[in-house]
Amino acid sequence: MNKIRKSYVPFMKAGMQNLIIYRLNFIGFVIGGLIYCFVMFYLWRAVFASNGGDAFLGFSMTDMVIYLFLSNTTSQLIFSSVSNEIGEEIRDGSISMRLLKPVNTDLSYMFTELGTVFMKLVVLLIPMILGLEIYRYCATGNVMFNVGNFLLYLFSAVLAYIISFRVNLCFGFIAFYVKNLWGIGILKNSIIGFLSGSLIPLAFMPDGLRVCLEYMPFASMSYTPVMIYMGKYGTYEIIFRLGLQIVWSVLLYGLSKLIWLGAIKRLCVQGG
Amino acid sequence: MKRIWKIYRLLAAQNLKRIMEYRADFLTGAVSFLIDQAVGIAFIFIIFTQIPQLAGFTFEQILFIYGFSQIPKGLDHLLADNLWCVGYFIVRKGDFDKYLIRPVNPLFHVIAETFQVDAIGELVVGIALLIYASPGAGLHITIWTILLSIIAVPFAALIYTSLKIITASLAFWLKSSGFIIQMVYGMNEFSKYPTTIYSLPVRIFVTYIIPFAFTGYYPSLFILTGNNALFNIGGVIAISSVLFVISVFIWNKGISAYESAGA
Repeated sequence: MNKIRKSYVPFMKAGMQNLIIYRLNFIGFVIGGLIYCFVMFYLWRAVFASNGGDAFLGFSMTDMVIYLFLSNTTSQLIFSSVSNEIGEEIRDGSISMRLLKPVNTDLSYMFTELGTVFMKLVVLLIPMILGLEIYRYCATGNVMFNVGNFLLYLFSAVLAYIISFRVNLCFGFIAFYVKNLWGIGILKNSIIGFLSGSLIPLAFMPDGLRVCLEYMPFASMSYTPVMIYMGKYGTYEIIFRLGLQIVWSVLLYGLSKLIWLGAIKRLCVQGG
Repeated sequence: MKRIWKIYRLLAAQNLKRIMEYRADFLTGAVSFLIDQAVGIAFIFIIFTQIPQLAGFTFEQILFIYGFSQIPKGLDHLLADNLWCVGYFIVRKGDFDKYLIRPVNPLFHVIAETFQVDAIGELVVGIALLIYASPGAGLHITIWTILLSIIAVPFAALIYTSLKIITASLAFWLKSSGFIIQMVYGMNEFSKYPTTIYSLPVRIFVTYIIPFAFTGYYPSLFILTGNNALFNIGGVIAISSVLFVISVFIWNKGISAYESAGA
C-alpha cells in the first residue's frame, strides 16, 4: 500500500497540475458542453410542447433537465483521454520511457487521470448537483435530494470511470495500427455519446435496441449512474445494474490486457 | 488572381498526395464524421417516432434543415480547417513565422495549406439528406428559390470561416486560442434546428451575434416557404460579408501584434 502511494501519487499530482495549467482549455470544454445541453434543452422543450403533455415516456420536463445536465457532467467526469495520450506517446516514441519505469503502465496512466477526475469532481460535479437541486426545488416546490441515491451515484460513477478508462485504453491501442488519432477520437466520442445514452435517454429508444444497449458497456458509462441518481431504478434493479457494471469492468480489464499483449509486440518507435 | 489559383492548385496537389500516402487515415477520418452524422440523424428519427411534428415542422422538413446546415459546415471544414491549428499550436510554437516570410498573403496561405477531406462525411450526409427529404418536405421550388439558396451556401460557409478567423486571430495576443475556437464553433449546434424553438435572447444571439442561424435554418426556411428572400438569403450574404471584413481586420491587427515564440 505504501509502495502504491509512493509511486503513484506523483502521477496523480501531475494530472492535477496539468488541468490547472491548461485550465482555459478545460473551461472551454465545460462551456462547450453546457452550450450543447442548452441546445438540447430547447429541443426537448419543443418536443414536450409538440407532444402536448407533461410527461414523455415517463420523463417530465424537470426529469429531462436533470438528465441532460447530469449525464453531460457525468460524461465529462468520467471522460478519459488516455487513448490520445497513448497514441501520442506511441507516435513520438516517449512510450518507451514509460515502459522503462518500474511501475504498472496501466496504473500510471490511470493515476495521472485520476488527478484530473478529482479536480472535476470538485469544480464541476458538486456545483452542478447543487444547481440542479436548486432548479428542482424551484420547479417542483420540494426538496428531492436523496443522500442514498447520491452515494450510489458516486459508487456507480467510479465503476463507470473504470469502464470508460478501459474502453479508452482499447481505443488507444488502435494507434499501434492507425495514425489518424484525431479521426478515431471523433469516432469514439460519437459512438460513446450515442450508445451511452448521454445524447438521448436509452428509455426513449425502440424496445429491441434499448435492451441491447442497456446490456452494453456504454450504458454503464453514464446512463446507469444518472438513472440511479434520479431514482428511476428500484432496489433490485440498482443491484442488477451495479453488478453489470462490475462484470463489464472485469471483462474490459481482460480485453485491454489482451490487446496490450498483442500490440506491444508491434511497437516500433520511430525516430528519437 | 491567376497566380493565386496556381499556388492553390499546387498546395492542394501536395495535400492530395499526402492523403494518398495515408489512405487508411483518410478513411478513418471520413467514416468517423459519417458516423457522427448518423448519430445526429438517429436522434431526430427517435424523437419523431414519438411526435408527429416539432415546432410546426414535419420530420422531412427538420431533416431538410439539418441536411442544409451540414453543407456550409462541410465546405468550411474542407477548405479552411488549418485555422484550428493556428489557434491551437502554430502561433504558440512560433511556426507562424513561415507564413510571414513567404511572398503570399498569410491568411490565404494558411487556408490554402490544408484541404481537409474528412469533411466529405458532412458533405455527403448533407446532400443525401437534402435528396431524401426534398420530396416529402413540401418545398417551394422555383428557379428563383433554387438559385438563391445555392448562392447562399458559400456565403453561409463564409460565416463559419470568418468566425474561425476571428477566434484563431486571438492566438496572436493570447498565444493559444484553440479553446475559444472550440467554444464558438460548438455553437453551430444551434443551426441544425428551427430557431423558433429557442427563447428570444438565444434567438437574437444566434441570429445577430454568433450568426449560425444563417448557416442552416434561415436559408432552408426560404426554400421551404419561398418567403422573405431579403432576410433569409439577403441576411446570409450581408452578415457573412460584414463578418468577413471584420475578421480580416482583426487578423491583420493580430499579425502586427504577433511575436514569434519558442526556439
